[in-house]
Amino acid sequence: MALLEIKNLSVDFKTRNGVVHAVRDVSYQIDTGQMLGIVGESGSGKSVGMLALMGLLAKNGSVVSGQMLFDGRDISPLAEEFHGDMKAYEKAMEEIRGVKIGMIFQDPMTYLNPVLKIGTQITEGIIKHDKCSKQEAKTRAIELMKQVGIPSPEDRFDQYPFEFSGGMRQRIVIAIALACRPRLIIADEPTTALDVTVQAQIIDLLKELAKEKNMAVIMITHDLGVVSMMCERVNIMYAGKIVETGSLDEIFYETKHPYTKGLLDSVGTHAGTGRQSLLSIPGTPPDLLKLHSGCAFMPRCREAMNICRDYQPAEVCFGADHCASCWHFCKDRADEIVKAQEG
Amino acid sequence: MREQEPVIKVRHLKKYFMANRHILKPSDYVKAVDDVSLEIYPGETVGLVGESGCGKSTLARSIIRIYEPTAGEVIYKGADITHLSNAKLRQYRNKMQMIFQDPYASLNPRYTVGEIIGEPMEIYRMYDKAGREAKVQELLELVGLKPDHISRYPHEFSGGQRQRIGIARTLALDPDFIICDEPISALDVSIQAQIINLLEKLQDERKLTYLFIAHDLTMVKHISHKIGVMYLGHLVEFGDADEVYSNPLHPYTRALLSAAPIADPKKARESKRIKLEGEVPSPIHAPEGCPFCTRCAECRPECRITPPIMANQDGHKVACFKYV
Repeated sequence: MALLEIKNLSVDFKTRNGVVHAVRDVSYQIDTGQMLGIVGESGSGKSVGMLALMGLLAKNGSVVSGQMLFDGRDISPLAEEFHGDMKAYEKAMEEIRGVKIGMIFQDPMTYLNPVLKIGTQITEGIIKHDKCSKQEAKTRAIELMKQVGIPSPEDRFDQYPFEFSGGMRQRIVIAIALACRPRLIIADEPTTALDVTVQAQIIDLLKELAKEKNMAVIMITHDLGVVSMMCERVNIMYAGKIVETGSLDEIFYETKHPYTKGLLDSVGTHAGTGRQSLLSIPGTPPDLLKLHSGCAFMPRCREAMNICRDYQPAEVCFGADHCASCWHFCKDRADEIVKAQEG
Repeated sequence: MREQEPVIKVRHLKKYFMANRHILKPSDYVKAVDDVSLEIYPGETVGLVGESGCGKSTLARSIIRIYEPTAGEVIYKGADITHLSNAKLRQYRNKMQMIFQDPYASLNPRYTVGEIIGEPMEIYRMYDKAGREAKVQELLELVGLKPDHISRYPHEFSGGQRQRIGIARTLALDPDFIICDEPISALDVSIQAQIINLLEKLQDERKLTYLFIAHDLTMVKHISHKIGVMYLGHLVEFGDADEVYSNPLHPYTRALLSAAPIADPKKARESKRIKLEGEVPSPIHAPEGCPFCTRCAECRPECRITPPIMANQDGHKVACFKYV
């Protein structure tokens, strides 16, 4: 059984200008010990999906459909178990959030509380969830700080976040995420705010820890370089949908979806050195309030056809789990797919 | 290219900031830029790379005198501009412009696009009102926006489009030297390539000279003819882009390049990363000798005493005792 299985998840936000469908019918799964990369540009829904999983959506956001099975138990707010009782849901989430699923955020300076000692911040979760004494929690916190590579942890236990560099702060955030021995870590752009040499250190650390503790990691990022350094599987998201999913090598070397191709071209992966111009994707990411009924990537797609404008493509799989949603691969079934969407 | 006069020549430039100002104790100084010399020739792009706090932005800002240099000289086309008064500097300012990192912060939200792009021309009293408007429209077209965008406000545009507005403003005074301070790092991946292509197109059409600051090493490699690597206020390596990337000499350059994520799983698996221990020392208490000696695997006794000077290896310069 998969550690986490997301089935047909959709998340909406109500805004003054209308309803934004931030995540639209997304399904995927991740096994214990696996490293999954979720790649997308801003507004692609990559973070929103994770916030929905953790029950951390903003007030105007809600899960409108779908299941989120963690270890076989549905932890979506729509799950039958809660009968729509938000208090019961919140209570259940408290036992999961930060305990079974840990999170690492992008900017360690805004995530850490500037007026609390980092020792307090690491032990907070341990004391709350493991019901142990302050002294025990401190011993464990110092052990964690050692594991994430903070030198002389005993002395630094009583320091404040501003006394640490960016890389060290991110290590502390990782220590907090690990404090209750989670089985899944969600890392939302954990290295974007860091320099390349520090980024490499943090990625190594995450890989080592995941292996050692047999944790699954979901890495949310826009950086295809980071993905190729650490992930085994990759989901490519565009405008709230997964447009292509596959193993790392399938995504990079057997690329199917035009958007994935465009992304790889614009980072110059397949280009040589020198100054021939980069193949960029024309246009800008779509306004989620003004999506047309067809494929969201159509206006920017080099290979768009007429049918792309009006109807959603179906997902087509090439091999075990390399799938892409593009009309180029399901043209022959067009009548059937169109009929289903019109009916 | 060598016979040409450099557009910008920087000699022994230093910029120190005072830290911990105290009446009784001597003040500490942050040596943000320490003894940097380099030359930038017409039509070329010099990429400046290094980690945050290494002084790359401070160097760029000292060159166009947004910051007053502490010591050293900046020579623009043969004229020493280091000590010019603001009034005299005015005749050079229009030739040296800057593109900023954050297109959300660098455009005044209460000005229309026309006012934003037209303002520099107004300050320099170029053209009459109708002439300015025509020029703004020409610039908008040049950077890939529509002429009727002239009366809109910045909030109506996406990040990439805003960066295009910033570029149009930069070009308003027909500069020949442009500093691009991380112009793409706030943008989405698919948009980054568009902006890089635009900058390259403009350079070819208008014979522009760029000083391009970035921490994304792949994009810098793509756009630059030459690369300068900075560490803790020092320029540690400088040379042709291909040469620096394929044959990095300084131990820091090697570590930096090997740490850059490669968007190619096969290459990423093959690449051997040089691990750097520890962190960049504080620029207030920089090491005595070579700035990199505290983290360098090949550090020798002499490295800890005096900083190495730039040594020339066939046009590829490096500041390291290994090559002296």
